[in-house]
Amino acid sequence: MLRLEEVHCGYGDDEEIIKGVSFSVKKGEFVGIVGPNGCGKSTLVKGISSVLKSTGEVILENEGLGKLSATQIAKKLAVVPQNFNTEFGFTVHEIVSMGRTPYLKRFKGESPEDFEAIKYAMGATDIACFTNKKINELSGGEKQRVVIAQAIAQEPKILILDEPTSHLDINYQLEIMELVKKLNKEGLTVLMVIHDLNLASAYCERLIMLRDGVILDDGLVEKVLTADNISRIFGVDVLVHRNPLTGKRYITSVPKSYASKGKTKGRIHVICGSGAGVPIMHGLKEMGYRVSAGVLNVLDTDEEVAEKIGIEIVSEAPFSSISDGAFKLNLDMIKKADFVILANIPIGEGNFKNLLAVERAIEMEKKVVISEETPIEKRDYLGGKATGLIESLYRRGAVRAKDSRDVFEIIGRMSRCQS
Amino acid sequence: MHRFKRENISYIFILLVLLGGVMLLAASMGAVPIPIATTLKIIASKVFGTKPALDVNTLNIYETILFKVRFARIVLAVLVGVALSVSGVVYQGIFKNPMADPYIIGVSSGAALGATVAAIVFKGLGVFGFTLVPVLAFIGATLTVFFVYNLARTGTKVPVATLLLAGVAIGALLQALTSFVMILGTKDLHFVIFWLMGGFSSKNWDHVMVMLPFLILGLPLIFYYSRDLNLLLLGEERARQLGIEAEKIKKVLIIVASLLAASAVAVSGIVGFVGLIVPHIIRLITGPDHRILIPCSALFGASFVVFSDLLARTLMAPTEIPLGVITALFGAPFFIYLLKRSKRGLF
Repeated sequence: MLRLEEVHCGYGDDEEIIKGVSFSVKKGEFVGIVGPNGCGKSTLVKGISSVLKSTGEVILENEGLGKLSATQIAKKLAVVPQNFNTEFGFTVHEIVSMGRTPYLKRFKGESPEDFEAIKYAMGATDIACFTNKKINELSGGEKQRVVIAQAIAQEPKILILDEPTSHLDINYQLEIMELVKKLNKEGLTVLMVIHDLNLASAYCERLIMLRDGVILDDGLVEKVLTADNISRIFGVDVLVHRNPLTGKRYITSVPKSYASKGKTKGRIHVICGSGAGVPIMHGLKEMGYRVSAGVLNVLDTDEEVAEKIGIEIVSEAPFSSISDGAFKLNLDMIKKADFVILANIPIGEGNFKNLLAVERAIEMEKKVVISEETPIEKRDYLGGKATGLIESLYRRGAVRAKDSRDVFEIIGRMSRCQS
Repeated sequence: MHRFKRENISYIFILLVLLGGVMLLAASMGAVPIPIATTLKIIASKVFGTKPALDVNTLNIYETILFKVRFARIVLAVLVGVALSVSGVVYQGIFKNPMADPYIIGVSSGAALGATVAAIVFKGLGVFGFTLVPVLAFIGATLTVFFVYNLARTGTKVPVATLLLAGVAIGALLQALTSFVMILGTKDLHFVIFWLMGGFSSKNWDHVMVMLPFLILGLPLIFYYSRDLNLLLLGEERARQLGIEAEKIKKVLIIVASLLAASAVAVSGIVGFVGLIVPHIIRLITGPDHRILIPCSALFGASFVVFSDLLARTLMAPTEIPLGVITALFGAPFFIYLLKRSKRGLF
């Protein structure tokens, strides 16, 4: 329904911001445009809506917008701006009515159809309750809903939103996104510039990624929103996860210190599982150690985190006991490490070999720290066998730590003694 | 929506009654007081051909005073009031700036310079019976508004502070030039004071005829674009997205508003603050919708100028106070109040 062909636009003659952009949007799609500040997202919106002059073709329903008047364009395409401020005290009803401008004749008031469209727009955006309130007395989120209503009143074929949530608190951000999603479900085609990648992933079906005025990638969210693409356009390392509730992608940053490739302080092997190792692995990474972990079952929380933050791991198939092969690989890692840490994990039949690995570490005269946030008796699912072994480890030189913070202190102290 | 319409009709009705009342009062008061009832009777006699019960001598005197002197002055005051307040509304809308007013942004001073040059340098020159005065006043006003606008503009916005500064600076320069041209030309300081402080002394129906065409041309155009002015208040970009040719309409409106302001200056000199006070007061009552704001401001502006002129010629009679002094006495405190309030939000 909307097609762009080699669109160029910018401010003035010498400042070209959009340097040849082509894509098309199908009816009923929900497409997001993402990219860093200054990549031309908002400029592109201005180009599409003919607020800025552009070269190339913008075609909406087989008609080139270049040939149409502002009124004709406004009947097909509505824009919701980034923020909307007026010091003049128009009522909400007056503001929404302005959306009917392209349909009104000079010197004539609104017709019944106009009132119908206004009423529909106010109902759809749930603002009927403040019809007679003044626009400048509303909160940011409410104002944004009024502007969306104004755009809906235009009865457009396509709704273009330019970062509609960037000035809002998170509750209003979600409210606006839900509203736009609802309108999209009801059949409205939506093209939205959006700064927040996580919101983009949660709500859009398809993303167009812009960099320096050209399209870097275009496709389904899963295809576009990759750590690789993001590091290419934003120049940062990120982790791409799946939201456990919705299965949608979400992105978190990797702390800068992790990425430092400078000299490491030493090697530490962490024996962990089921999430108990997460704070320890993060903390040690931050302190600048080279960290390895094992044996971890695939899909285990610790395994996922370790993989994402770039920690070497020995892994075992999901929900399986540790095999002899994995056990041996684990010992190889321990051999290379300066310290071995046993996280606060429950010990059972399946991972008893990890405890044996700790014993072997003591035998190899490695420095061993055992985090015992929960007394081992409570985590021992082998009827005292694990407890007995750990007590013997303490006797043979393993150091006991109260919690993960204590682990870091002990490691810090030991490293200093060593050097 | 019908509810709003009925409200609007009643606003216009009330303002019409107010204007009628003020005009009647102004017709009756002066050096020769005429009882209001007598004034009404004389008007009725002209309209319906009745004979007022007055002796012929008194009637003749009254009729001469009313029709030759006072009515011309009152009608001129009405026209000036309409022109100044409507141009104020339009400037405020276009600049999205509530402090805009033909006087404050220097347009009146530009018009005054043009008018003075026409009156003194090209004395007697004219086209088709029109003097050059309104023409040069218009050129002066239009040049000033574009100059001040571009001086004050940052991006597409015209911030209050820069608009006021640019307007005051340019206005002061133009007023100095005006005085300079006048003193070179006439050495008549009364004449200078009249231009710089405004007023209607010794004005007659000829002046009404000079001004009328500008209003007949300008007012319908502005009313034609009143809905677009509403949209312009949301910003040019938004106005365009909602389907109006903002850039073009804005230019047309600036020119028409300057035309109105210039025509007022050409007949009455610089009368300040009318275009500021009137739209503000009306906006408080009607809200910012230009479809009602413009006609109401026109009516109230007319009443305000007629009333101010009445004060100007009666307060210290027989000495006449310049009209600009009276409007400034109302307007300047109001302006200060607005500036103070603007820290919280202007409308």
